[in-house]
Amino acid sequence: MAAATQRRLTRRKILSLAIPLALAAALILASLLIHRNAPPNINRAFPGGEIVVGLDASFPPFALDDGESVRGLDIDLAKAIGSELEMPVRFLNIGFYALHDALISGQVDLLISALRIDPARTQELRYTGSYFDNGLVTVTAATGRDSNLESPAKPRIAYEYASNADSQIRGWEGADRALQRLPYELPEYALDALRLGLADSAIVDATTLRLYLRARAEWGARYEYITHEPYAIAIRIDRVDAWKLVDSALAALKENGKLATIIDKWL
Amino acid sequence: MIHLAKHRKRFFILIALLAIAIALALPRPASESVPLGEQQTVETAQPRLCVHTLLENEVEEAKIKRSLQLTRELGAATIVQFFPWAYAETQPGDYSWFHADRIIRHARRQGINVIARLGLVPAWARPSGSDSPTTLNFLPEASFDHFARYAGAFAARYREAIQAIIIWNEPNVSFEWGYRPVDPAAYTRLLRDSYQQIKTANPDAQVLAGALAPTLEAAGSAAGLNEIEYLSAMYQAGASPYFDALAIHTYGFREPPAAAPAPQRLNFRRAELLRRVLIANGDGAKRAFITEFGWNDHPRWSGAVRPSQRSAYTIQAFEYAAAHWDWVENLCVWALRYPADLLSYPDNFTLMSADFREKPIYFALQDYARGWKRSERPWLLPPSAD
Repeated sequence: MAAATQRRLTRRKILSLAIPLALAAALILASLLIHRNAPPNINRAFPGGEIVVGLDASFPPFALDDGESVRGLDIDLAKAIGSELEMPVRFLNIGFYALHDALISGQVDLLISALRIDPARTQELRYTGSYFDNGLVTVTAATGRDSNLESPAKPRIAYEYASNADSQIRGWEGADRALQRLPYELPEYALDALRLGLADSAIVDATTLRLYLRARAEWGARYEYITHEPYAIAIRIDRVDAWKLVDSALAALKENGKLATIIDKWL
Repeated sequence: MIHLAKHRKRFFILIALLAIAIALALPRPASESVPLGEQQTVETAQPRLCVHTLLENEVEEAKIKRSLQLTRELGAATIVQFFPWAYAETQPGDYSWFHADRIIRHARRQGINVIARLGLVPAWARPSGSDSPTTLNFLPEASFDHFARYAGAFAARYREAIQAIIIWNEPNVSFEWGYRPVDPAAYTRLLRDSYQQIKTANPDAQVLAGALAPTLEAAGSAAGLNEIEYLSAMYQAGASPYFDALAIHTYGFREPPAAAPAPQRLNFRRAELLRRVLIANGDGAKRAFITEFGWNDHPRWSGAVRPSQRSAYTIQAFEYAAAHWDWVENLCVWALRYPADLLSYPDNFTLMSADFREKPIYFALQDYARGWKRSERPWLLPPSAD
């Protein structure tokens, strides 16, 4: 009888402890879930009341410091994101090698600096969606042969010597593809060769092609991407709110056409 | 009897298995997965030619060996190589020399001298608990002594292999000083502590100061301080007795190597302005090592030249130094190769790609160093409508 009473008392004690503990655990879990799904908070994302953007302003047309101001595609993109988020934007011009340390140490909130998404850095950074693809493109004259490289028996391909295009073409050769390689010192010369009919196609990066076409509006060319090198905005991995907000703002700029306008302005 | 023998047999098997397990668990000397090969010597007509390698982040030993073979084949008898403190002393006093040993072993087998650069702070030697994490370049004054002891241990271990050690990298830019205001007096104290430890370990080792970044930053700039004023401030802080030679970084940017130096210009001969500071402070007898220099040939970087200019300027720089800079020991081109591409314009500072594809400048430098006469141009002339 005494033993049974003792057991009842013990059970009661356990229950009296367990119920509050379970309730507390449930509350913590619920708060975590709510917080996780909570909309990002702009003040938490940018507690300084501004967005500090780190960039290397030595890389036109994405960013260039002309001595008086910094200008370029990345600058306009940052300003557009600031407008979307209704936050002022301040730029910090940093050398390329220092960019990531500036982000990690909290000197800047974002990096917008023609940065390619680098999987090796994703343990410390989050990237937004891509805002420009600077992959290699194969270019053919609009009035010439089809861009299919198999069409001519031994197509003449112009490219910049020792560039990524060079690697790509050597890879094709390794796959027993019959080609005639036309290496040039500069990628623009490769496009000149195509334009002048000295090559069947040229392989350059997308930025080079767009800049070349801007300067030669009369020349018609077709192109297609053969590799992808997405440029994206980088944010420190623990700045989740900032990442969500900037990524959403970038998506909105894509949606409303403002990103395309910025790209067309510079490229 | 048979029963006992059976048990004894099991007992011995058990002991043998235990011994094997213990043997496997014990730390063993690192095995050489990549043979060192025959002892080599560097054949060169340009003994001052040196390249900066980046083997500290090279995981595969075969790539370390290949990089050093290509250095030798280039005709470079010396490399500058970074040996990060953070990699060697992950716990206080607990040194791991595995990777450094591997680099030194292969360099020596290729007949290459090594100038060591030391830096990069382990987590235990940096402040913790802050909201903003410190970078690997953040060295608090309280850890100067730890760093100096690492420098001393390094000098002792590689007494036979390394005769020149650079203390830190570009302390005149805030990024390299842990994103703090630069501090020539503090750097001088670090130099002093390191010098004392290194000389105790190996009195013959040369301690190289500076490795200052070429920059135009004025006093008070958040980004740093130009190297001319920084070096002068080091002298004011009493640096003179604590270095044997000066390490200099001097890049050409868009100017040819013979372009005249000026305080407000960044070009190759800017090194002469640092030389003047040494002379002004009574250190004219000290030699200098150009531990980083070069040109970049990215098609769009604002500081770049064309690939053909890059090759020509680099060779002209060696010729200029041979004619005018008898105070310079080595000229080290930045950089041989990155272990992985950086995916931007700095990739165009290298002599070869991450996958060991030599660039035109590699062959141009090789011709120059080896006395070869390859006239073949690697690219076609610019196309014309004619």
